[in-house]
Amino acid sequence: MSTSLRTILKVAALTAALCCFQALAALAQEPVTIQISVQNHQFHSREIRGPANVPIILRIKNEDNAAMEFESVSLRVEKIVAAKSEGIVRLRALAPGRYEFFDDFHQETRGILVIQ
Amino acid sequence: MLQRAKIVFRFELICLALLVGLVPAAFGQSPNTFYEIETKYIFGFTEGSGIGLEGEKEISPDSVTSIGKRTGSYVTGQTKLKYEFTPNQFMQFELGPIVSWHHIRNVTDLDDVNRFSFGGGFVEFRYLLLDRPTSPVAVTIAIEPEWRRTDETSGQHVQNFGLETRINADLEIVPKRLFIGFNLLYEPETTRDAAGAWTNEATVGGSAALSYRIFPSVVVGAEVWYLRHYETIGLSQFTGDAVYVGPNIYVQLNNKMFVTAAWNTQISGREAGEPGKFDLTDFSRQRIKLKFAFEF
Repeated sequence: MSTSLRTILKVAALTAALCCFQALAALAQEPVTIQISVQNHQFHSREIRGPANVPIILRIKNEDNAAMEFESVSLRVEKIVAAKSEGIVRLRALAPGRYEFFDDFHQETRGILVIQ
Repeated sequence: MLQRAKIVFRFELICLALLVGLVPAAFGQSPNTFYEIETKYIFGFTEGSGIGLEGEKEISPDSVTSIGKRTGSYVTGQTKLKYEFTPNQFMQFELGPIVSWHHIRNVTDLDDVNRFSFGGGFVEFRYLLLDRPTSPVAVTIAIEPEWRRTDETSGQHVQNFGLETRINADLEIVPKRLFIGFNLLYEPETTRDAAGAWTNEATVGGSAALSYRIFPSVVVGAEVWYLRHYETIGLSQFTGDAVYVGPNIYVQLNNKMFVTAAWNTQISGREAGEPGKFDLTDFSRQRIKLKFAFEF
């Protein structure tokens, strides 16, 4: 194996290890739990609030007779929640701001998580 | 007789035409409101900072075709059959085989080749360094070790190892409508030829792209790339550079499928020690990117 190839592999492995360590450290903080429910393809509260810089657990209760897919581009999550059941989504610690979320199976079903 | 490389190229042209035809359909089926959008694939060859959604998986054929050298007929390309997955909210992985094709005839310094083959494989690791709203600019580092058994330019059998390293950054100028993307690229490679000799090379460069969301499901834009090629990994032996410009389009076909296409043409360049307007030894005159993606 050439010296150049060994250097290439070492740089790739070191960078990957550093990034994995940082991601695991961010997920290790104590989370806050927030409840969301959906009925008749509407979120009960269109706007929910949460604390900044703390990991959040979203408990999503689907009260409809059809499955939903909780999804958010800015939160970077998606989760299918079966009919009449509950799904859990773990969010990283978020910066203050407004984060849209929606049901990917019913795109008109939308809400906003406001982080303060 | 039609060569397979030509068939693939013509297939891509047909796909591009279909893509243009799909724009009205995508507009017709989309909601009238502009919601948030993933930025990774809206800039053409320039990649945005997006890393997907935790738990999301995607498969896609991602093709890049290179066309034109100084002499003869030159059409080559590679398709990465990508499997992407996002294990958490910080990183994304991509991996898959590479299929390559070469149609080379009467090109100076290259042997004639007409071949369609398994070209190698790749793994890509993407890590989100900065994201909105923490920072107005979202930044991702992407590291892609690659192995090739077919030389990208000549189509000859080799053992090639590369490490494409990119910084992908983007900025929302007008929320959900107008975006700017920037890439920095450094790609060192080492290659063992059929005689067993190792040679090194590196490509370094950067890009800027501007994309506008004309409909909720359609983004159009343009980009400029500046690339430099060296015969060493340490960037000490410059061989040539090139400036590419060109348009791109992204169409969200439904909530689980999208297609993106880009065309770049070399408008300026030079080869070290050679007269002429372009660098057509290290780079092609034109390049086309086409990607269909299916998320699940």
